[in-house]
Amino acid sequence: MLRVSGGGRDRVNPWTYVLLAVLLIPFLFPLGWMFLSSLKSQVQNTAYPPLWVFSPTLGNYREVFQKNPFFTFTVNSLVVALGSTGLALLLGLPGAYAIARFKRTGIALAILTARIAPGIGYLIPWFILFTKAKMIDTYAALILTHLIVALPLVLWVMIGFFEDVPGDLIESARIDGCTHFAAFLRIALPLAKPGIVATGILAFIFSWNNFLFSLIIAGFKTRTLPIAVYSFLSYEEINWGGLTAAATVITLPVLLLALLVQKHIVRGLTLGALKG
Amino acid sequence: MRVSLKMWFLSIMLSLALASPALAQKFDWQQAKGTQLRVLLNKHPWQGAIEPHLKEFEALTGIKLVAEVYPEDQFRAKVLVELTSGASSIDVFMSMPAQEGLKYVRAGWLQPVDEFLKNPALTAPDYNWNDFLEKTRDAMVIEGKIIGPPIQVENTSLMYRKDVFQKYNVKVPTTLDELEAAAKALNGKAMTDDGQPGYGIVARGKRAAATSQFAAYLHAMGSTWLAPNREPIFNNEDGIKALDLYGRLLRLYGPPGSENNHWYEASSIFSQGKAAMYTDANSLFPVIEDAQKSKVVGKVGYALFPRGPKGQYGSTVAAWGLAMPKTSQNQKAAWLFMQWATAKEQVLAVQSEKGVLGARESVWKDPKGMAKVPADLRESLTMGSKVGTPLWNPPVVAVAECRDAIGAAIVVSIQGGDVRAADNKAATDVKRIMLETEKK
Amino acid sequence: MRHLGTGWSRFVERHPVPVFTLPSVVAVALLMAFPVAYTLYMSVHSWYASSLTSPQFTGLGNFRRAFFEDDRFRNALWLTVYFTALATALQLVLGVSLALVLNRPFRGKGLVRSVFLLPMVATPVAIALVWMMMYNPTLGVMNYLVGLAGLGPYRWVSNAAIVVPALAIVDTWEWTPLITLITLAGLATLPIEPYESALIDGASVTQMFWRITLPLLRPTIIVALLFRAIDCLKTFDIIYVMTQGGPGFASETLNVYTFQVGLFYFHIGYASSLLVILFALVLGVSLLLIKVRRGAW
Repeated sequence: MLRVSGGGRDRVNPWTYVLLAVLLIPFLFPLGWMFLSSLKSQVQNTAYPPLWVFSPTLGNYREVFQKNPFFTFTVNSLVVALGSTGLALLLGLPGAYAIARFKRTGIALAILTARIAPGIGYLIPWFILFTKAKMIDTYAALILTHLIVALPLVLWVMIGFFEDVPGDLIESARIDGCTHFAAFLRIALPLAKPGIVATGILAFIFSWNNFLFSLIIAGFKTRTLPIAVYSFLSYEEINWGGLTAAATVITLPVLLLALLVQKHIVRGLTLGALKG
Repeated sequence: MRVSLKMWFLSIMLSLALASPALAQKFDWQQAKGTQLRVLLNKHPWQGAIEPHLKEFEALTGIKLVAEVYPEDQFRAKVLVELTSGASSIDVFMSMPAQEGLKYVRAGWLQPVDEFLKNPALTAPDYNWNDFLEKTRDAMVIEGKIIGPPIQVENTSLMYRKDVFQKYNVKVPTTLDELEAAAKALNGKAMTDDGQPGYGIVARGKRAAATSQFAAYLHAMGSTWLAPNREPIFNNEDGIKALDLYGRLLRLYGPPGSENNHWYEASSIFSQGKAAMYTDANSLFPVIEDAQKSKVVGKVGYALFPRGPKGQYGSTVAAWGLAMPKTSQNQKAAWLFMQWATAKEQVLAVQSEKGVLGARESVWKDPKGMAKVPADLRESLTMGSKVGTPLWNPPVVAVAECRDAIGAAIVVSIQGGDVRAADNKAATDVKRIMLETEKK
Repeated sequence: MRHLGTGWSRFVERHPVPVFTLPSVVAVALLMAFPVAYTLYMSVHSWYASSLTSPQFTGLGNFRRAFFEDDRFRNALWLTVYFTALATALQLVLGVSLALVLNRPFRGKGLVRSVFLLPMVATPVAIALVWMMMYNPTLGVMNYLVGLAGLGPYRWVSNAAIVVPALAIVDTWEWTPLITLITLAGLATLPIEPYESALIDGASVTQMFWRITLPLLRPTIIVALLFRAIDCLKTFDIIYVMTQGGPGFASETLNVYTFQVGLFYFHIGYASSLLVILFALVLGVSLLLIKVRRGAW
């Protein structure tokens, strides 16, 4: 049934909800399974056919927190994500504004080459650079490396949001004698606030999830959460319960964050595509 | 007066006599007091066993230890990346010389410890280097230099279900032919706790990881990696037979998807009771006998790896050890740690507490050290360490790359492809890799 | 706030673009400068990261080796293209279809959006491990589920023949929502007039779909395709965690192969040349898609 959206008071077909449920379940299933498995013991996890009903245990979570300095990992992930997001916003917002306002797509494309380059290409040169500068295992190094992902993201998404800011508002402010910077600060930024929030959260999430850079650049003191999950594949057999418990702990924050501001995030992600 | 002179003389003699052993024991463990050591450890049974004792070292020497632990893949990558940068601050790291020793030595990254060992001011008199099993001592010598002490020894051995063999009245194999016959006979027979059928045999098949275990089959057949002139010969007739056998065993009598199995998966299958035999490193025995996770505790026999048709032994001997980067700024302190960690007292501790297979002969003879180790394991390990070859990896510089090349052939064999072609290709690849990386 | 003086303010007023964009440009340039220079330099040298021997100049030797002598490279190149084509095709078809189905009024649009976001933001490493568990041939729930439909059991990522599709399924699960959301947003901006005139002309629903909706959506879809293609070509996390390129080399894409060569074999020179090739590939595909999109305008 094809219908151009923007429809008014159509009566909702109850079968729609059934259809919706059917479509949504595959996307929820792996996450749900992850959570369920984290509540099973090793014996329950290795049962086949898989157990759908079982008596849950919190033992895996206890093991995860006791055996690993999860608190440290979380703090590290937090510091790096906040740091790189903050820095990306600081550097990227003015740039996105100028590109949107003065239609300089050339610069935008140039910066986007950073997004095209494979991450591995950065690793060894950065490692050598940071080692010589004695910056390995520091937050600064990690924040800088995460910036290479966050900054293009901020630019890409915020260009779209800034383009939405009505040109006339800015023009009339300029006529009244506003400087460029003042117009940016006092008009564009407040109007684009939902976009800024969305972008900030997206950048935060991608930094939080980053595995490759942290694997090589982070040292012992600055290890982030994705590395922690990976270490569950130790010399012992694969501890499914512990693994899924760790996985749940790691993904939960970003899942919750995303849910909190889903409207804006969706807009941010799709805006980048529509205007691009 | 004469009495007192005599007594004076006697007392001097006495005090000298008493002093000598005291002098000999007066090795200065505190000579590097106040330094801080950065030690990199692989997540491994030995590391798990020594960690609770580390504070004893700190108390003894006044040296502060910062120990970093990583899972194996990351550990290797991390060490490599740090040593390459030339500015690493690592003082000591766990090393498997047969894996990376040649490469590290040729690259000039390691500090040999020969001079430390010979220096009585730096090495405790009761350290006794010759107490280490001969083959493990050999394993720690690269191009004539000792790169560090061994901490653990292991063989590729045959682990089998005593109960299953008994139930179906099959003889425990001592030759490769018997191995195949047993695998065939037991494949598909009921063997799990709840009477489910299992596989005849399980082993690693995952590319590079399988290479080290395949080495046993290769040598038992009578072949080896390189000829004396360093040309690859593992693709000679015996080598091809070995490769064919390995793949055939897993393909016909092993679990599906073997080519994706590292030892995590293989040992899991075996300890869940789903296989009758398992060829892998016998250092896995703490995993197999882990009462919390294994279902075959107490049912497993540990036998010497079967001999080949010409009577050749296949056992390999592998050792983990400790090594010191040349860039370490605290070499004296680092050597103190390396000594302490491998001194008899500590080896006895890790062996008796966690069943880690230490490398000291005296500990093997000590009943306390044998408490956790089953008798047949001890026998096969001792025998295997005597007759075994340390060549569980090809003795090249670019070990990782060569292992992958050979591993590719192993995968082809498991999948039932053209074994001869795959083996020849692996040999060509290895030759090329050696040419590129070993220009001297 | 420091008083900057009229000279500076006038400068900003005259040249807002450079001033505003400089921070970003400089940051990116600084971060990229050394790696780019280093990679280009190393790609024409041979070096095994030894402290004793220095890099040897080899000109185009590395590139020649890759294309003419290295089976593993050609395998990696093919697998990269295969994985990308399969994954993006699946996501495109699935994503657009889902968008069309969801493009109707109902309550709870927020909930749907939220659910759709989850696969995209979940930590890839964690997700990869969960999928590995689900794909386990003997204990995994995937075989159980397909068994209910009378299919399988499959060995999934342990089977060289289907490992790439199995991985593509994971990537599809993760990113189809993005395509759907983008398409939904695009559908929302479609004008009504063409449909009204078509209805008057007596066009059928399918005709309207093929003749009006799709062409109008094309720019949007192509941009979505562009994003996904770039990301698929560079996919690393899920492949590395789930198969490390195995079984054998059946899932070793160019990115994974380069990681092995660079960080395990430490053949820095060769790895750098592989990176140059990979970058050229991604750039080429991007330019191609941008051109197609411009054509669609």
